[in-house]
Amino acid sequence: MSGGPPKALPSTGPQSLRDMPHPLAGSSSEEAVGGDSTPSPDLLTARSFGDKDLILPNGGTPAGTASPASSSSLLNRLQLDDDMDGETRDLFVTVDDPKKHVCTMETYITYRITTKSTRVEFDLPEYSVRRRYQDFDWLRNKLEESQPTHLIPPLPEKFVVKGVVDRFSEEFVETRRKALDKFLKRITDHPVLSFNEHFNVFLTAKDLNAHKKQGMALLTRVGESVKHVAGGYKLRNRPLEFAAIGEYLDTFALKLGTIDRIAQRIIKEEIEYLVELREYGPVYSTWSALEGELAEPLEGVSACIGNCSTALEELTDDMTEDFLPVLREYILYSDSMKSVLKKRDQVQAEYETKLEAVALKKEERPKVPADVEKCQDRMECFNADLKADMERWQNNKRQDFRQLLMGMADKNIQYYEKCLMAWESIIPLLQEKQEAK
Amino acid sequence: MEQATPDPERLWQPAPLEPLSHPDAGLESMVGEETKGARDEGPGDGTMTENNFSLKKIEISVSEAEKRTGRNAMNMQETYTAYLIETRSVEHNDGQSVLTDSLWRRYSEFELLRNYLLVYYPHIVVPPLPEKRAEFVWHKLSADNMDPDFVERRRIGLENFLLRVASHPILCRDKIFYLFLTQEGNWKETVNETGFQLKADSRLKALNATFRVKNPDKRFIELKHYSDELQSVISHLLRVRARVADRLYGVYKVHGNYGRVFSEWSAIEKEMGDGLQSAGHHMDVYASSIDDILEDEEHYADQLKEYLFYAEALRAVCRKHELMQYDLEMAAQDLASKKQQCEELATGTVRTFSLKGMTTKLFGQETPEQREARIKMLEEQIKEGEQQLKSKNLEGREFVRNAWADIERFKEQKNHDLKEALISYAVMQISMCKKSILFQNVSQFLYLILKEMSYSES
Repeated sequence: MSGGPPKALPSTGPQSLRDMPHPLAGSSSEEAVGGDSTPSPDLLTARSFGDKDLILPNGGTPAGTASPASSSSLLNRLQLDDDMDGETRDLFVTVDDPKKHVCTMETYITYRITTKSTRVEFDLPEYSVRRRYQDFDWLRNKLEESQPTHLIPPLPEKFVVKGVVDRFSEEFVETRRKALDKFLKRITDHPVLSFNEHFNVFLTAKDLNAHKKQGMALLTRVGESVKHVAGGYKLRNRPLEFAAIGEYLDTFALKLGTIDRIAQRIIKEEIEYLVELREYGPVYSTWSALEGELAEPLEGVSACIGNCSTALEELTDDMTEDFLPVLREYILYSDSMKSVLKKRDQVQAEYETKLEAVALKKEERPKVPADVEKCQDRMECFNADLKADMERWQNNKRQDFRQLLMGMADKNIQYYEKCLMAWESIIPLLQEKQEAK
Repeated sequence: MEQATPDPERLWQPAPLEPLSHPDAGLESMVGEETKGARDEGPGDGTMTENNFSLKKIEISVSEAEKRTGRNAMNMQETYTAYLIETRSVEHNDGQSVLTDSLWRRYSEFELLRNYLLVYYPHIVVPPLPEKRAEFVWHKLSADNMDPDFVERRRIGLENFLLRVASHPILCRDKIFYLFLTQEGNWKETVNETGFQLKADSRLKALNATFRVKNPDKRFIELKHYSDELQSVISHLLRVRARVADRLYGVYKVHGNYGRVFSEWSAIEKEMGDGLQSAGHHMDVYASSIDDILEDEEHYADQLKEYLFYAEALRAVCRKHELMQYDLEMAAQDLASKKQQCEELATGTVRTFSLKGMTTKLFGQETPEQREARIKMLEEQIKEGEQQLKSKNLEGREFVRNAWADIERFKEQKNHDLKEALISYAVMQISMCKKSILFQNVSQFLYLILKEMSYSES
């Protein structure tokens, strides 16, 4: 839960893409156990925990039993396999090290962008710059303008309701950092977008603001022409695939919205449950103070419930930090995709209008005039680009959601395992004196 | 430490409220009449002597509950629940049980029995009845007395009450209790004939004693504080537990909402469809698992409630002590004042103010004959008073000794029972965690498998 004065934001050192775990993988995932079998449903053994240590009533520490092939490690392997596509990577981008800047006019956060590349487009093999959210927003707008035929990944929401969310809390900043990192990585993975000059500038320029001022000159013709097409023209035949995708996106966004609402409600209910639990545990302590022989067992139960409460708090934090942002991201993605589809429709509309106009003038030579040809080219380019991006998007979506659902199940398992261990550890405490009798 | 045993004659007649006989005398007479092995009793069994003094083990169960309609005291139609009590005797030799008695009783009759026991055994921590009205409910539980779940939990609570009485070394021998189990008709009349309601201490008297007693036994003072605090802490615990149950229910049920939306989503997906479908199904299963979990937890709450009510029974024993002690103090005070009066009359000095003294001053001294008469009367009263004081003292000390013996027994029972309750609560939590882990693992596993399959197909 966010709250209190903003703490000093920790810095995570620069890591290469390979070393960093996927933002959605469980933060306490074990080392990948190479060559192991698929996880059995019988994973009832306790896993080792990377998170906060449990407080046991007799002061011991949890005995960490190494788990067999954990599903999260399996996930990581599968994910990397999908990622590779057979090409070797030559561009690595990372977002980390958020820092707060306090100026007279405003307070804001910057993030460090580290770039490593062997590409010729980059003068140096390595760059490190600082950027703030505004800069990312600028980048995205530029990409949309300069590559209108492509799907541009979404940014995390720009505005947050002040007073409800603390913009400078650790949790909020971390969530945002992850989303920004994802944003840049998606662009990096894209065969066309990653070569975009604005992207290059974003990654390398010492002073981005100077560049922003010169921005206008870089608009391409394609971008301009798309803006001028009048709306209201009905398409002859929208290619099936785009029609299908349009419908799909509508339902998809709807379902995601519902899931987002349900997830938020679950978190709310869990927080309320947590509030009650935090009152429940201590009552056993109060009782324990009254008793003689029962004092230790009751105190043990109190500590146990305390441990479960802590575990639950971690679970709800994870859900808020990892689950909800991905849902939101894909809702935003669907929105931006729909607008790209519209643009594509417009390009097709422009082409068809021109074609019809030509067809009416029967005196024209049978040869198709140049500008109609250009329109056709434009449309076909758009269709090709979009189709490729669609496929890429579908792949990413599959991976992301699989990881998301598995990740959440993982988190839930960890929660239950922590509770299980807490309760199991007090059984001997409760039984102790019984046997002594 | 041996319990004081009641006078054997009292087994067959309603016990009048009289000073307890000397424990040793009682024991001897009992031994003569009982066969060996009278003392060993397992939980839930009562050992009772019957007319022919042969010993049999008794098994008691409240096996059924039935809704009935009848007419109440004001001749109005009412619905109530009747409970079937079955008593079986187990032959020591072959261990087989034979149904000896079976009758129906309603809750108010149980209350009558308990009130009787409270009056006739004030030194005993009398087992409590299950609650009259459902309390500490969370929203899913019904507060309605006719609700089948409530009736079922009450049936168990009533059986537990009977078993506790039957396994108490003193209470199990009471005739009214025996008749409760065996004599269906007329039992109410029999109880009322004992006149126990008249013998009950008035609440007002008891309250007065509590405030004014000067020198109660320290242990009872401590016990009173303990029982007050125990009541308070268990009430608090039950209240919070109810809220916790409510919240947990909410969490599980909202997860159920995922089921439908995952299903709908799976319909529009190609590769992810099957995985989503199975995830949705599991959400439904997860959501519905809470009902069983919370039902089990109610049992734990009932165990706590029993000791919440036991605290009241402890309190009652303390109150009785305070009453007796106060009575004693009053008697001593009265005696002291009479002695003083006597002394003053004899020596002629008036140290304290008295009406007689005033009237004497106003109307003249009384005659020596009058004075003699008064002194004689006072001396008789003093003699009586001294005897009474002596017996009250004895009574009081007996009460303290016997009560404390039962309190020690109760403490052992409480520690044992509550530990068992905590263990079974922990076991419940463990089982719930394990099920949830398995459930998550299975759904993950299925999802992975389905993913692999769809990849290999495409």
